[in-house]
Amino acid sequence: MGLVDRGRMPAPLTKLFNMGRSYSLWVYQWGLACCAIEMGAAFASPRYDVMRLGVIPLPASPRQADFVVVSGTVTDKMAPAVKRLYEQMPEPKYVISMGSCANCGGPYWDSYSVTKGVDQIVPVDIYVPGCPPRPEALLEGIVLLQQRIKNEDMAAKWRGEEYTSLQKTAALEAAEPIVVGGGPIE
Amino acid sequence: MVRLSDTETQDEPQALPGDGLREGIVDSLRADLGEHLVDTHLVPQDDLWVRVSADAWALTGQSLKAQGFEYFCFLSAIDWMPSPYGKGEDDPDAEPSEPDTEIRQGYAGGETRFQLFARVTDVGRHVGVTIKADVPDSMTMPSWIAHYAGANWHERETHEMFGIGFDGHPDLRNLYLPGEFEGFPLRKDFPLLSRMVKPWPGIVDVEPMPEFDEPADEVGAGEGRGSDEADGDAS
Repeated sequence: MGLVDRGRMPAPLTKLFNMGRSYSLWVYQWGLACCAIEMGAAFASPRYDVMRLGVIPLPASPRQADFVVVSGTVTDKMAPAVKRLYEQMPEPKYVISMGSCANCGGPYWDSYSVTKGVDQIVPVDIYVPGCPPRPEALLEGIVLLQQRIKNEDMAAKWRGEEYTSLQKTAALEAAEPIVVGGGPIE
Repeated sequence: MVRLSDTETQDEPQALPGDGLREGIVDSLRADLGEHLVDTHLVPQDDLWVRVSADAWALTGQSLKAQGFEYFCFLSAIDWMPSPYGKGEDDPDAEPSEPDTEIRQGYAGGETRFQLFARVTDVGRHVGVTIKADVPDSMTMPSWIAHYAGANWHERETHEMFGIGFDGHPDLRNLYLPGEFEGFPLRKDFPLLSRMVKPWPGIVDVEPMPEFDEPADEVGAGEGRGSDEADGDAS
């Protein structure tokens, strides 16, 4: 629209687009260990029904995905594949790290072969703690991600900057990093 | 009948009547291997351990396959040396005890720190046997791939985890570890750097155990609530 080329966007238009984006998320499932069972319960079962949040868990490849849920133990051997698949995703892209292993290594904190957190190789937007987290926790992580998307300054993204909030409030900045269970949902 | 330790069975006959099956396996192995069959440990009606010399490792595989042991369960190794770093889950505040350096091999004995072991099963006769061999200082053993194709990845794993080479293996690349990994993680003297920097956090109970000091009448009230719920379910 011309505005994009100049890296500027009116805030109301940004909010409209952000709302559209946040309710049509395609999630790429990266199940690596037992957390994938809980992710499967959250994404594929009618009991939790992730589609009511506007999330479609069925992209055929990372090239169609808006965000990825890394659920499970990332090993040093798997880490290059995680990074490569993340790089194949189109911008804008987001990462939810699910479970203690993906967050920090979890029970394998002293292992010779486990990456101590997927945030060492890709930027993580939302952390979902738990071993494994319940499906509700993952759903809360998705809701937090939607809030993050709604409050994102897309013009800054197009200018190549890091994640920038539309409204910078002390509460939002204090909430970094965003962890499920770390604060109230609006 | 399962004996808990080999000391209980030493004074007893090694096979009760009726375990001619496993005795027969030992006999036919001895016929093939001769003096290369070093030691056996037989728990009647239960299981059989056989220790062979390293030179006869490949011949043992051939002999077992010919006897009908067609199912290859696994192949791996043991480092019998006690960890020089002690037990990582001991209380870090406690006085460190003298490290145990004595090497004790398990069933059927042994003479070296590393032992290779494998298990094969005869699904027809429904019997399995565990084969062990002392790994010589050259840290190289013959490969079993010629007799058991399934040994391929097991030998790769044993190679990367223990540093034991296999003569005749076509492709000893790392299986689990990244290609540039240095060291052999399943050796007891492989240092876990994280544990050296920080003692095991699980030794400390972050929260005290919940206390159960409810008065007796509250317990009674709890039972009453339970029966109310049961009534509610029934209605």
